[in-house]
Amino acid sequence: MKSLAHFSIALLAASALGQESLRPLVEQHCIDCHDSDTAKGKLNLAALLAEDVTKHPAVWENVVRRMATRQMPPASRKERPTEAEYAATVAALAGRLDAEAAAHPQPGRTETLRRLNRAEYQNAMRDLLAVEVDATALLPPDEASHGFDNMSVGTLPPTLLDRYISAAQKISRLAVGAAQRVPGGETIRIKPDITQQERAEGLPFGTRGGAAIPFTFPQDGEYEVQLRLTRDRNDVVEGLHGPHDVLVLLDRAQMKTFTVRPPGGKGHDLVDAHLKFRLPVKAGRRELGVTFLKDSASLLDDKRQPYEARFNFHRHPRPAPALYQVSITGPFDATGPGDAASRRRIFIAQPQSPADEVACAKKILAPLLRRAWRRPVTDADVARVLPLFEEGRKEGGFDAGIESALSAVLVSREFLFRVEAQPAEAKPGAVYRVSDVALASRLSFFLWSSIPDDELLALAERGELSQPTVLEAQARRLLADPRAQQSLVANFAGQWLHLRNLDGITPDGRLFPDFDDNLRQSMRRETELLFDEILRENRSVLALLKSDHTFLNERLAKHYGIPHIYGERFRRVALGPETQRGGLLRHASVLMATSYATRTAPTIRGKWILENLIGTPPQPPAPDVPSLDEGVVSEKLPVRQRLAAHRDQAACATCHEFIDPPGFALEHFDAVGRWRSLEAGVPVDASGGLPDGSRFTGADALETGLLQRPEIFATTLAEKLLAYALGRAIEPHDAPAVRHIVRRSQAQDFRFSEFVTALVTSVPFTMRQSL
Amino acid sequence: MSTFTTRIALPRRTFLRGLGATLALPLLDAMVPALAAEAKTAAKPVRRLGYLFMPMGADMTRWTPTGGDKLEELPFILESLAPVKDHVSIVSNLEIRNAYPGTHATSNASFLSCARAKHTESTDYFLGTTVDQMAAQQLGRETQLPSLELAMDMMQTVGQCDNGYACVYQNNLSWSSPTTPLPAEAHPRIVFEMLFGEGGSKAQRQAALRKRASLLDFVKDDISRLQRELGAADRERVGHYLESVRDVERRIQRAEQGLAENPLPDLDRPTGVPASYAEHARLMFELQLLAMQGDITRVFTFQLARETSNRTYPESGVSDPHHPLSHHGNDPEKIARMAKINRFHVSLFAEFLQKLRATPEAGGTLLDNSLFLYGSGMGNPNVHDHVNLPIIVAGGAAGGMKGGRHIRYKEPTPLANLHLTLLDKAGVRLEKFQDSTAQVDGLFAPLGI
Repeated sequence: MKSLAHFSIALLAASALGQESLRPLVEQHCIDCHDSDTAKGKLNLAALLAEDVTKHPAVWENVVRRMATRQMPPASRKERPTEAEYAATVAALAGRLDAEAAAHPQPGRTETLRRLNRAEYQNAMRDLLAVEVDATALLPPDEASHGFDNMSVGTLPPTLLDRYISAAQKISRLAVGAAQRVPGGETIRIKPDITQQERAEGLPFGTRGGAAIPFTFPQDGEYEVQLRLTRDRNDVVEGLHGPHDVLVLLDRAQMKTFTVRPPGGKGHDLVDAHLKFRLPVKAGRRELGVTFLKDSASLLDDKRQPYEARFNFHRHPRPAPALYQVSITGPFDATGPGDAASRRRIFIAQPQSPADEVACAKKILAPLLRRAWRRPVTDADVARVLPLFEEGRKEGGFDAGIESALSAVLVSREFLFRVEAQPAEAKPGAVYRVSDVALASRLSFFLWSSIPDDELLALAERGELSQPTVLEAQARRLLADPRAQQSLVANFAGQWLHLRNLDGITPDGRLFPDFDDNLRQSMRRETELLFDEILRENRSVLALLKSDHTFLNERLAKHYGIPHIYGERFRRVALGPETQRGGLLRHASVLMATSYATRTAPTIRGKWILENLIGTPPQPPAPDVPSLDEGVVSEKLPVRQRLAAHRDQAACATCHEFIDPPGFALEHFDAVGRWRSLEAGVPVDASGGLPDGSRFTGADALETGLLQRPEIFATTLAEKLLAYALGRAIEPHDAPAVRHIVRRSQAQDFRFSEFVTALVTSVPFTMRQSL
Repeated sequence: MSTFTTRIALPRRTFLRGLGATLALPLLDAMVPALAAEAKTAAKPVRRLGYLFMPMGADMTRWTPTGGDKLEELPFILESLAPVKDHVSIVSNLEIRNAYPGTHATSNASFLSCARAKHTESTDYFLGTTVDQMAAQQLGRETQLPSLELAMDMMQTVGQCDNGYACVYQNNLSWSSPTTPLPAEAHPRIVFEMLFGEGGSKAQRQAALRKRASLLDFVKDDISRLQRELGAADRERVGHYLESVRDVERRIQRAEQGLAENPLPDLDRPTGVPASYAEHARLMFELQLLAMQGDITRVFTFQLARETSNRTYPESGVSDPHHPLSHHGNDPEKIARMAKINRFHVSLFAEFLQKLRATPEAGGTLLDNSLFLYGSGMGNPNVHDHVNLPIIVAGGAAGGMKGGRHIRYKEPTPLANLHLTLLDKAGVRLEKFQDSTAQVDGLFAPLGI
């Protein structure tokens, strides 16, 4: 509330005084370093004061940011502005810049041509055709820029085009349920570092290990399934000391039971050779479960072992057999396309006679095109794909015709690209509102990473979506849909918080022997669930920083040393202070994603906090900073002392003094996020600080420090969210819109939905600048 | 352990079938008209070029051979090259000036471009055309794919690319223009499909190509319309899209031709991605070999792992992830472990060379008509330097390659010199490439013109 008051002061100040009100403070506190002689950081404020603030928005926005976060004037100066002076100056400056932005909006320019990224492509298939595909197996990875993978999406190299064509053909065939030329096949590997001693998600109680594998069966028919068990380097099936029962389930119904036994003197080659069978399956998305019956023998064996992680042949071998891979081949003796969800979605009409086929195809294709192209379609549009229908029909009948036309839809520019052409009459530099139809796509791709649904599209087609009340209502509706939770958690939070990197991190096996993929996935899940709760229950985003509860399963609870949590299922757990758990900064996911494999990395943690919570990422190292030969610092020293040696070098100190302290405050958490009070026998020193110059010890104080000015965190979140929503980097001219979002959310206790509704009605989201 | 990928996605029989069929067919010059034409010329350029990138430098004390110009005792990291010693030479003391200030992003980006990466995190990235793409303009004119870009990393990371550098620099070895990074593929099945479509019999493959061609016609028409609808500012981009369309069109035509001319038998697609790194890498090498046999492409780039990769290589006997180990702080134990990872990477390359040498084609073996550059854009990863790079050149007789040598420059010499030399052998004549100062002497026998 305090800063809201400051803001109204700001408005007054801005209108009445302009930048003249800045002069005394700037002259007293800034000019020493930022004058024409010294111009530290290449900033000469003396010269700028002579001109209107609005002439140099980039510079002054930076001043706002540095002062709002109390990074400037630096803490090292003897005399700094009072809190009131800080607040008034920031408010006056921001007010002036906001007023200018209100008079002359600068929405920036999203690129005209942006192709769907992999996540969007996959979701679009789900929403358009009711078909689940794995886009990572169809398309090359997207490049990330500014932390998100929906920005560098303007180019179409030949390889990508080639892949779009292949993907379109495969998906159309799958969606239509066309006969396969030869039985297809897929081999699904279970990650080698998964411990298979406990029940896996999606499988029945009383089982252990294995996997529940979602698979789209293209046609009704017989499918051959072959299982293989994990072997060690000597080709011996791991953990096979007695008989074990293997269960196979389809959509949770038990289909088969096998027993595997030790071979008795012979080699292990044939131990699992009989785990091969044919299964009649109806077309569509099904879940194939393969698991083991949990028996008392493997439980008993467990008791003697100190570790949860049981996959490493040398260190802690598997006490019972584990699933290595599942191969699914088929269909054999296919009986037809069956009644898959995708066919029900596509074939809304069936021709009664050959003469009826073209009319029927039009009936099917028109709504498909409308959803795929996210706009109203005309007869002429349908006519563009009809030749492909004819071509396919000639070869293979009506269904093949639809399949062929569908593949054309899926490689059409208006499906693959989000095209935001400017109005023909727009003059260069002109600012205009994006069309309602374009707005519908902006909204759905932001919140669902997917195409608009019928309701949203219909509103846009009627020209009603751009009304702010309608737009906000639609944003709330989309946000309440599970698709928003799924996509914002996976794509926004997953990238913002670096959760996506967890799969690429493996802590050193000797130092952290009790690490396995089960733990890695549990770590990720905790953070996802906390974020998800804020979305679902529309809570304050500050709960990310400080929370009195979290989400745990047994594996993670044990890792944290929290007792009485049993089973694989995640549940909400209230936390006392003794648990040392709660907000993001205490999540093993974040702590591990910002560590090295062998030790913590305060610099990386500090950088993560500056970038993702405070919004002032450290500058890249200047070209003239010498590389530090780590050899001069003994490996045996604790991290703090090694880094201290870095900071002794003047060239390094300026930045590391700024980057490292927030990371140091988290030193009580080791490289896999466990609490520790000793490091190498010495009490942990968690004294750290923040770039505002405050100094303190430990995570509690760090959280308190970050929450002292919650609008800083809210600003960072708003910027990240805006960059993600627009698919472009945030520029200084976006700052007024970001402040608008923060102000609105602050008035509502920083609730997540306020960020979203304020964002979607903001200037950069609803407008665009022509070239 | 068998060096073939027996238990994994591409079944052994596929490979053997492929190999067997090629072996069984008489190696008639008529089957490879391009080569036949080249063979008549006096200075016979090499038929294909391959570039292999190893991330994060190496332990140069265990890499650099001792002794004189002749490659005698192979050092620890290079030992696996012994069976093909006569086909490899080591070049020491090469550097990449434009990779400074030392970073992981520039190590990758400059390896084949020798260009300075524009310091940006945005979409305005700018590098330089890479040597493989220059070679592809020449060698790739005849083949279905001008070049093939491969990698080993299935996922992308966020926020872990070098500070201030867009991730494209760290991810993409190959750039067809200063602003066009080419995505590399790590999924074996997708690579297979790029090379051979969905497989099947000749007739089935032909039918599949016809379908693709008609779909591409639709795309061409569709994108051309866009050209008319957009303003001048965006038209240039659409122009690039249309170039891509033409490129894919050409690929399909070449594939149709190739089907008629090339003796590849029925092929089965690999299915999943092998879980172990070594199996996965071997499969990727296998696919390159098949692509050579089918003459589907003649220019290859293969990133064995990404810079800053935290991958572990249990097969190397080391459980530490690579990147932290590369910042060894001069700890001898850590350096020794890192060297084992370097050795492991080299051993996969050595296996590949042996297989190429064992696979005959017109005029010798696959290895005879190929040239490879294997190495890293970094020397000492502990300090991110780009001098004294670990570099191997391998190949066969075709270009006059003199194996079994150690060329050791007294003064740091641009890697661009070596690039210039290899391009020259492939028939791409340039006066200069980036900061090159001369060609590398002593690597090839003088051409007997």
